[in-house]
Amino acid sequence: MEVKEQLRNVTAPADHLIGGRMPAKPLNKAAIVTRLTLYTLAVLTIYAFFSFDYKELDFMDALLGTFANLKTIFLEPHLKHFSFGHALYQVMVTLGLAFLTTLFGAIIAILFGLLAAENLSSKKTSMVIKSLVAFIRAVPTVLWVLIFAVAAGLGSTAAVIGMTFHSIGYLIKAYSESFEEMDRGVIEALQASGANWWQIVFQAVIPSSITYMISWTFLRFEINFAVAVAMGAAAGAGGIGYDMFMASSFYLDMREIGAITYFILAVAIILEIFAAKIKRKLKTA
Amino acid sequence: MKALLEVNHLTKQFGKDSKALTDVSFSVQEGEFVSIIGPSGAGKSTLLRCINRMIDATGGDIRFQDSQVMNLKKKELKQVRTKIGMIFQHYNLVNRLSVIENTLHGKLGTKSTLAGVLGLYSKEEKQQAVQILNVLGLNEMIYKRADQLSGGQKQRVGIARALIQNPRMLLCDEPIASLDPNSAKVIMDHLKKVSTTMGITVVVNLHQVDVAIKYSDRIIGINKGQVVYNGSAKGLTSEDIQRIYGSEADDLIFDIGGIHAG
Ligand SMILES: Nc1ncnc2c1ncn2[C@@H]1O[C@H](COP(=O)(O)OP(=O)(O)OP(=O)(O)O)[C@@H](O)[C@H]1O
Ligand SMILES: [Mg+2]
Repeated sequence: MEVKEQLRNVTAPADHLIGGRMPAKPLNKAAIVTRLTLYTLAVLTIYAFFSFDYKELDFMDALLGTFANLKTIFLEPHLKHFSFGHALYQVMVTLGLAFLTTLFGAIIAILFGLLAAENLSSKKTSMVIKSLVAFIRAVPTVLWVLIFAVAAGLGSTAAVIGMTFHSIGYLIKAYSESFEEMDRGVIEALQASGANWWQIVFQAVIPSSITYMISWTFLRFEINFAVAVAMGAAAGAGGIGYDMFMASSFYLDMREIGAITYFILAVAIILEIFAAKIKRKLKTA
Repeated sequence: MKALLEVNHLTKQFGKDSKALTDVSFSVQEGEFVSIIGPSGAGKSTLLRCINRMIDATGGDIRFQDSQVMNLKKKELKQVRTKIGMIFQHYNLVNRLSVIENTLHGKLGTKSTLAGVLGLYSKEEKQQAVQILNVLGLNEMIYKRADQLSGGQKQRVGIARALIQNPRMLLCDEPIASLDPNSAKVIMDHLKKVSTTMGITVVVNLHQVDVAIKYSDRIIGINKGQVVYNGSAKGLTSEDIQRIYGSEADDLIFDIGGIHAG
């Protein structure tokens, strides 16, 4: 998906080199535009630094202060307003939010992913679902949470619905593309023996795509974990994100922020290791 | 005797004016081994797929047993399809599943949706699968994954999947086109055995005229969507081959007498 698009972008200039004559100077229209843009941005950046309203602020002091803060956060972390057990519990809450929204998303996305796959559905249905999904995905998760917060109020309900919503869109695209990779001939073979759509889906399509589906689902789980942390702070969805929000804006305790950051980092690393293990297992299976 | 399959004035048109089949008529008797030969693009695959309605024909009619295939509703069509096994050039197995799971797929058409979805097969069905795999010489491979098999072994699983349907007829679309000569011979021998010992009718698309002559009771030659030969394998002459393959026939250099002798 995105990767494919990036690949295309990467190969495009190469095509141009192979296709046409090697230009004497690497200065074509695109290069000039890129350069001009970069120069303009550089000038604007420098101008911005001079035009900021620094008030009484001494730049050097501020820089040193920031480093001092970073040092406090990352080198002297401690927990003061809540215990280790509490932090662990809150991480679980955040993980729970990520898990729940990924699970809801996955279940709903399987059904719509099947309908969105051109080889399992009609061209029209597939088109309609794919366009809807493109729209859902174009709006960031956080925005969906805020949109649902209008009806449900800011809190865990809005977070669950909003995050599920975006997960559905993301996973429909991922799943339907895995389904479309499916060999047409296999579907034909089962149709020819009188099997019906549901039987073909569960006996041939899903077994053939299951590794992709698990990979994509896990990737979405990792994304949802990060979003769940942010939602705890921004939308009052609870969990470790909320504690971070309290530590920073209510208690102004930088060391606690550091401790929480390490906590989240640890969980993220564990998830990453777990994901890598699963993927390796799937590849060999 | 009433024919098992009867095809009358069958036509198939793709798009506006590309006719794949024009007024094709023939019948196939119970237990007969029939080969369909013809140059590439003649319409062999199209013809085979029209018979079990993987493709809907444009005109004409097809009778299989007592069913007018062209008029069948969805459910009745599935019913008829369970009686017709199909075998493909590229085997079309589910690579990630085991040999026995792939074989049992042939039973899906006769199962309830839920049982099929959950892959719940009865003891008898499993025993039948094992027995068929034994006959096809795959007894050691039963729990191997399909993608670990050789081409010839995969095609034998394809045959097993078709046989477990207890079909009246097998439709084979170039079953040996991707195989080396030895595996091809094994597959053709199995198909012949299926036809003679089990009384199952076999209709097979072939590219190799010599193989068709060797194994078939009857050969149907198709050129540009029309039947240009329909007769015994023994009666096929070089002129017939010329008519079936047109200008391509010159490339098919072989001694027809030698084949008949062998
Ligand atoms: N889905 C399709 N859409 C349009 N035209 C098609 C389609 N399928 C087949 N045709 C055309 O119908 C004609 C017959 O094709 P068919 O596949 O039946 O030939 P074949 O005899 O099986 O050839 P081969 O020996 O190469 O497999 C060809 O001209 C082909 O281009
Ligand atoms: Mg063909």
